[in-house]
Amino acid sequence: MLKNLYNRLASLDLGIWLMAGVIVLLAAGSFSGGGAESSSINDMPLFAWLRETPLALSWWLWFTIALLLFLAVNTVLCSIESLRGKYGRARFLTLIAPQVMHAGFLLIVLAHLFSAYGGLKGVMQVNEGETIGFPDGTGVVVGNISGEVGQMGMMTDYSADVRSGTVVQTISPNHPFFYKGFGVYLKEVQLVPYRAALVEIHREPGAGLALAGALLFTVGNVVLLYVRRGR
Amino acid sequence: MKWLLLASIALYLFGSFRKAGFIAALLTELVYLGIRGAELGRLPLIGPQDTLAFFSASIGLMALPFLYARQLRYASFSWGAGCMAALFALLALPFPTLNMPLPPVLRTYWFELHVALAFFAYALFGVGAFLGGMFLRKGERTLLDLQYKAALVGYSFFSASMVAGGIWGYYAWGTYWLWTPKELWTSILWLFYSLYLHLRLKGSQWERAVAWGGIIGFAVALFTYLGVSMLMRSSHSF
Repeated sequence: MLKNLYNRLASLDLGIWLMAGVIVLLAAGSFSGGGAESSSINDMPLFAWLRETPLALSWWLWFTIALLLFLAVNTVLCSIESLRGKYGRARFLTLIAPQVMHAGFLLIVLAHLFSAYGGLKGVMQVNEGETIGFPDGTGVVVGNISGEVGQMGMMTDYSADVRSGTVVQTISPNHPFFYKGFGVYLKEVQLVPYRAALVEIHREPGAGLALAGALLFTVGNVVLLYVRRGR
Repeated sequence: MKWLLLASIALYLFGSFRKAGFIAALLTELVYLGIRGAELGRLPLIGPQDTLAFFSASIGLMALPFLYARQLRYASFSWGAGCMAALFALLALPFPTLNMPLPPVLRTYWFELHVALAFFAYALFGVGAFLGGMFLRKGERTLLDLQYKAALVGYSFFSASMVAGGIWGYYAWGTYWLWTPKELWTSILWLFYSLYLHLRLKGSQWERAVAWGGIIGFAVALFTYLGVSMLMRSSHSF
């Protein structure tokens, strides 16, 4: 019976059905209020959102997570079976490239789990000279808020300085300040009647793991393209 | 300058049954995009006009290697790919050009890499869909092999685009992932082609399903690109 269960969990058919299931659920989610741009889903860690949101809005995500769990198990088992079945019969790179891609995919799924549990997002308006406090009692001071207004009256560029002790860094769009595991992001500035900045604080514990997974996946992908170039 | 885009459409439609006509159309379109990029000082990737023209040129560019594939000896492929490129260039024409400066958050190479790679991927998925259609009509296995090549390289471009988007998102918004319709459909498209690549492992009795997979995949790609932008509220809208 255990052997039968293992064979089912390690089957290509199950992987295909699970992928199809996740596709259908994500599509359903994209049309529901839960996955809409205006949803609060992006304002809090995913698990907190799942706890607080009625099932009528979050059902698709619960099922997606469940299927992804099975897909992760299926991916691991399929990789093991592929390595066992083809070891010694296939070229090393041919054998290993898809498994490296699988490993990258698994790391990205794991990264999402970390972020879903321990992520954090806070938005605040900070006037020039004010301090943003952090949980350990320290803080960073925001100063030198500046911006350029273009011909059409739109803000074309803006920045601010953040100071922590003797360290001073300029933050602007795409250039955050990383401080004790948090990222400080400048979203908007106001120059009149007084200078103020709209700042977001993010903690994304899965980011490093997601990058590692993405790099692993890309390396596997490039090797796969190389070994299959003539086929 | 729009006359260059019109000229490329005419060349695609009436000359692409020959390789020389196809290449002339592509070159004309690339010159148009080059001039437009020089005017803007960046890749023309904002607004429906620029993105549709870029997508059209991507189709021409990605179809080009297939024109020289030994296994592909049908002029209908060259003309079909040309018509596909012409269609999206035609769709670009009614839209106005957007010449405003980029919002600060879009001024990064990660953004340009993310969008350009996505269009190369969509273009290859389009080429794959056309080859899938040819396989279903003619039943030649080599057409399915070429579809697989287009899909695999397209999948690789698309994966790289997602990685670039994730890195950009982390530096711009503090997160590599947002739950928005565009991101959901991006994941759907990526998963769909993952499914396609695995379906191919099931053997020769699944060949027609694989060919249909490549065709449906392009429909998903078009919905991800155009459908989500036009029908759903998203930060990725035009």
